[in-house]
Amino acid sequence: MASPAFPPAKDASTDPSPSSVPQAPKSSYMSPLTSAFSRFSQWRKSLDLPNPGTVENLQKEVKSTHLTNFMFDGARADLTKSLSMNPAFQVTHSFILGSQVSTPSYNFGAVFANNNMFLQGSVDHEGNVSARMNQGWAENSITKIQTQLSSQAGHSMIQLEHDYQGQDYSLNAKAVNPWPADLTGIYIGNYFQSVTKNLALGVETLYQRPTPDMSEFTTSYLAKITSDDKNWIATAQVQPSGILQATYWQKLHEKVEVAADLQLMASPQRRDAIATLGAKYDLRMATFRAQLDSTGKISALLEQRFAPTFAFLVAGEIDHFKNAAKVGVGVMIESSTLTPEEMGMPPQP
Amino acid sequence: MPSEETKERITKLVEVGRTVIHYGWIPLIIYIGYTRSTPQPTLIKCVVSVPLFDLGNF
Repeated sequence: MASPAFPPAKDASTDPSPSSVPQAPKSSYMSPLTSAFSRFSQWRKSLDLPNPGTVENLQKEVKSTHLTNFMFDGARADLTKSLSMNPAFQVTHSFILGSQVSTPSYNFGAVFANNNMFLQGSVDHEGNVSARMNQGWAENSITKIQTQLSSQAGHSMIQLEHDYQGQDYSLNAKAVNPWPADLTGIYIGNYFQSVTKNLALGVETLYQRPTPDMSEFTTSYLAKITSDDKNWIATAQVQPSGILQATYWQKLHEKVEVAADLQLMASPQRRDAIATLGAKYDLRMATFRAQLDSTGKISALLEQRFAPTFAFLVAGEIDHFKNAAKVGVGVMIESSTLTPEEMGMPPQP
Repeated sequence: MPSEETKERITKLVEVGRTVIHYGWIPLIIYIGYTRSTPQPTLIKCVVSVPLFDLGNF
């Protein structure tokens, strides 16, 4: 570190805390810059802004309140077996039958997770494998790899991702289907920064390079407002090409959450808007979600737990404009080879 | 820009890697889970689960 031109022993002995002087003897011509930087970072620290969360989780609360991601039709059964709690290891068999939108299918999944690694894989009856791996390097730095492998050509994909969360900002870089020989693929980067305690702003840039001599940049802007008590969250995402997505989520009561979502598209070719309203009730042994949207769909989903290991699901959707309806029933059975003591539960009387 | 030969080699490597992950990923997870679990389960339990028998353990 210290160059021979300076007597290093003297410097170290007189100053008990070398970090308080930011490397002054090493590069004196750089010292205005480094001191400005350290003053800036101290000022930033003194603001004490919270981490805004990741861009991927921008609409997390809304998505978990709405039932769009949970809707199914036909019959399904999920049999989960926990083989170990710490590290977590479980296998799942799922069966889907009689759906209007997909053919009957069987899926086998396995999950392994310890403190800093998460491995997940699933294979269906046609031999398509999906794999996911998350590796945490530190508390705030995670690398994620996701891939889908199919024996059919052109159905495989891979996504490499790195997440970094600073004190008051989040950074994420993603590459979808990168090809090392000619660097084609889709690359996404985003930066999300807390501006005040309640407001966070961000940008996301998408770089598409389908062939080596064709490339395109698209940038979208994000904003998120969180209330002081975190009881409501409003988000907005704007793409200059004319797409706006705005959401609002509120926790009305400890057990009741409501969410609204508005998607506007105003490009020269297409003008469209969809509004969705939803509510979620968390009861002691059940979760109920209901949703209404501007395309005339009303849907509801009840997840009733009869025992800690057995849940029953009923889903229904009526499309009033198309005069169509969907009904789904499902069971989720969890079993374990472990005794209650091994699972960390108090022994039952 | 890499040469044609390098490009061919990369394509071949990616193909091999893809095949290895396709057939090896699930066995790898089961192997890792099987060896690291506490207590260690029997291998047959990792793959086959007969829920009707397990329902007795409610």
